[in-house]
Amino acid sequence: MLQIINQIFEIEKKSSDQSISIFERNFERIHHELQEMGYTVSNPLGKSYDARDTSVEANIVGNSSNPIITKVLKPAIFQNDGTGMILLQKGIVIAE
Amino acid sequence: MGTINFGIDLGTTNSGIAKFTNGKVTIYKNPVGFSDTLPSIVAYKKGRIFIGDKARELLKATHLDVFSSFKRKMGTEHLYHIADTQEQKSPGELSAMILKELQSFVQDEKPQAIVITIPASFDTVQSNATKKAGLLAGFQQVVLLQEPIAACLAYANSQEQDQTQEKNWLVYDFGGGTFDVALVKINERELKITDHEGNNFLGGVDLDHLVIEQLFVPKIEEVLQEQNLFKKLITKENNFYAKLYYELLYKAEEIKKELSVKEVIHTELELNDGDHYIDFEISRTQFNKVISPKVDETIVLIQKLLEDNQKTSNDIERIILVGGTTYIPYIREYLRQVFGIMVDHSIDPTTAVMVGAAYFAGTKEIHADLIEINSDIQNSENQSKNSIDLKLIYEVNTQDNEELLVGNVLGDFDGFYRIIRKDGGFDTGLMSFKDKFSEFVKILPKQKNQFTVSVFNQNQQLVFEDNNVAINHGIYNISGQPLPNDICLEIDDNFGGTFLERIFKKNDILPLTKTIYKTTSKNFNVDVNDKLIINILEGKNGTFPASNMSIGYIEINSKDFPMNLLKGMDIELKFSMSESRDLSVAVYINSIDFEKKEVFNPHTKNINRKKFDEDIDTVIDAIENELSYVNTIDEADPEDISVLVQFKKIKDELFNIKFDLIEVDEDDQSERIFQLDERKRRALQTYDQIVRFRDVIYEIELYKNTKAEAESSLEEATARQKEQFQKIIKSEKVFLESNEKALIKRKTKELEQLCSDIFYQKEESYGSLYYYYKYRDLDEYNNPKKASKLIASGDKAMENNNFKEVKFIIHELYDLLKVKPKDPYEDTNGNLGLK
Repeated sequence: MLQIINQIFEIEKKSSDQSISIFERNFERIHHELQEMGYTVSNPLGKSYDARDTSVEANIVGNSSNPIITKVLKPAIFQNDGTGMILLQKGIVIAE
Repeated sequence: MGTINFGIDLGTTNSGIAKFTNGKVTIYKNPVGFSDTLPSIVAYKKGRIFIGDKARELLKATHLDVFSSFKRKMGTEHLYHIADTQEQKSPGELSAMILKELQSFVQDEKPQAIVITIPASFDTVQSNATKKAGLLAGFQQVVLLQEPIAACLAYANSQEQDQTQEKNWLVYDFGGGTFDVALVKINERELKITDHEGNNFLGGVDLDHLVIEQLFVPKIEEVLQEQNLFKKLITKENNFYAKLYYELLYKAEEIKKELSVKEVIHTELELNDGDHYIDFEISRTQFNKVISPKVDETIVLIQKLLEDNQKTSNDIERIILVGGTTYIPYIREYLRQVFGIMVDHSIDPTTAVMVGAAYFAGTKEIHADLIEINSDIQNSENQSKNSIDLKLIYEVNTQDNEELLVGNVLGDFDGFYRIIRKDGGFDTGLMSFKDKFSEFVKILPKQKNQFTVSVFNQNQQLVFEDNNVAINHGIYNISGQPLPNDICLEIDDNFGGTFLERIFKKNDILPLTKTIYKTTSKNFNVDVNDKLIINILEGKNGTFPASNMSIGYIEINSKDFPMNLLKGMDIELKFSMSESRDLSVAVYINSIDFEKKEVFNPHTKNINRKKFDEDIDTVIDAIENELSYVNTIDEADPEDISVLVQFKKIKDELFNIKFDLIEVDEDDQSERIFQLDERKRRALQTYDQIVRFRDVIYEIELYKNTKAEAESSLEEATARQKEQFQKIIKSEKVFLESNEKALIKRKTKELEQLCSDIFYQKEESYGSLYYYYKYRDLDEYNNPKKASKLIASGDKAMENNNFKEVKFIIHELYDLLKVKPKDPYEDTNGNLGLK
């Protein structure tokens, strides 16, 4: 399942890079279905890098005092297994 | 006498902890991120201490106070200067921090004694320094074990071994940053390292660099029209190259993993936010060719080791593999090819050393006095873990992404605190504080966020722990308006009726938005006035739809559709309710690209007279049906009399409402129609209260009986049917408690269909079905003559118990039928048009 979510994430990213908006509803639907299955996909793009956030593994570029996440190679994925949330996949990001 | 049981692999790059219990070894996972291993890295940043993954991040960022590979300096006088705190730490002290962090992986007990592994190359001074680090971390008893021996133990214990004969094993340890090989002698009595070789600067990361340099860079240079790109990447000449380097390093790691299972892989690199997409097709052969020089270096070291000890590969029984890099199939194959001996990779090479350490710990006796200490600790832990008086202050409910958590210690205190969110996505690291701390903790939306708050003294010993700190996000908020009632959508059940499905829950905080997906429950023809009805009601989920107040009503005529809409198509419904309770509904039907939006204001009510009338008629019909079972009330069972009287009263009231409605003008939306609506709802509520409980009980009973029947036939079911059964009953608790008879009925129907499918798997089951076709009027068949012939053959087949033939004849007869029998499991068309 994680691989499928990663692929969806990449397709979504490519669509947005190419300004293709016709899949918007389809992505919304996919995320809805994923949520129904207990998955939450977190895309931290644009957020400040926070060393306390263990849901991502960051590669820090440059010497900024407040690095911003500028690229997300893999999203963070959580799953609610019925008893609570669990981090299933760490996000892989670049912060600069 | 007890045994130590706990074993730690204190590695140069990664460490881990495992425990031996009842002949088995369990590897503890990091509660933050849930990995089996912890990077052996410590970082200091603005008063905070990070250990493991987050420290590794800072290492990549060439942050000043990040310390790694300190194991290489064990036993030396070297001191690491920490600019942030102006302290100095020895390699042993940093190792102790790693050991302590590993201790925290063990949640249910506190190990007092430990086995720690050391490299074969460690001398007495280095070994003693490791032992000291163990004691510094709070262990009372530390036993050392050489890494290759630990690996041999892990392999030996995972399989049946003949121990009577003396043999030699080669332990091939290719990790992330180092390579070691050891020659181990094994006999009945002992495991002993004969000799070892190694290279501290050869590891998996070198292979990744080769992949970047030879497989990625040439193509990128072509696209970007650059030269010397690899050099620019390695030196991280500027931010662009640094960013590209990390991305390529990540891709190299990924393809290394993928090529372990696939022959060819494809990967794609995006440059400059989508300006270029470069496709790479990489085969295992290409990859092997690229990494082979580094693998050859390891072969040279093995050959040297064998020569130095006057051994040939014939003297070696097997090579055992340790370290993540040995996952690469080429390494396994090449070793086998060069040395012609068995290459054993039967256990996980990344955890082999800690597993072996735990096996060893399972045989090593614990000091007698420690057993007492252990039981004392456990007793005192049972009473209370907390030796300081700490008060935690935080908001239990929030709508923010971060929430302030304050800790106040009564009296003087100097130490560290640490807050971890239980899902593994947040960890403050160790943060020093005096008397009081405050931290903005990160909150996951729409969840109950559970945290563990731990406080440590200056020696990093735990003095306080509270693992019940819970902060709810989005559930309550003092500043928002809570919904007074459920907001529901009326949808078709599969049996000709309708029921309510909750959109927003009572007490949810406004504003609210939700998208739900439904399907069409009938066909819509553009030439006919088919209606799709979206009726949103305010009222309790699980009650009769018509007994609630409609707050939004959309009727879409199929004539407005661009084309016919078929049953089973998706309908997207987006609901939003503002703080002033304006309801907006957006309907989108993808298959015909139809969209409609409407906003409903709570102060203006719209009542659809046709629907109003239909709701009343449905209940009048149902009551008449109930009353038809008794001729006069006097004949009824005394227990039923009061119910029948009530039915009669409701029916009369509904008729009155109908008559009164006639007097109201078509377009009248005045008080009068609202009064009638109120009366209608009240009458229908009374009706619902009488029948719902009874009907739901009846449906539950029916479900349980059908389930028992299905269970008894499961022996004859296929694996797929058994799976289907589990799927049907999976959320049993939810639908049985839903108070919604249609939901229960649907499940009963699914079980009935499953029973039927299982039954008709056997050909002899068609015997009874045959009579259904045999005794029909011949005129019901298109070709009576042919039907008659088929029946004659059928009778013969029945006589001979030839059920295969019977089954065939039934199919033929079915095809001849003018009117096909209705599929009992087919869903009834809906009234509203969505389900």
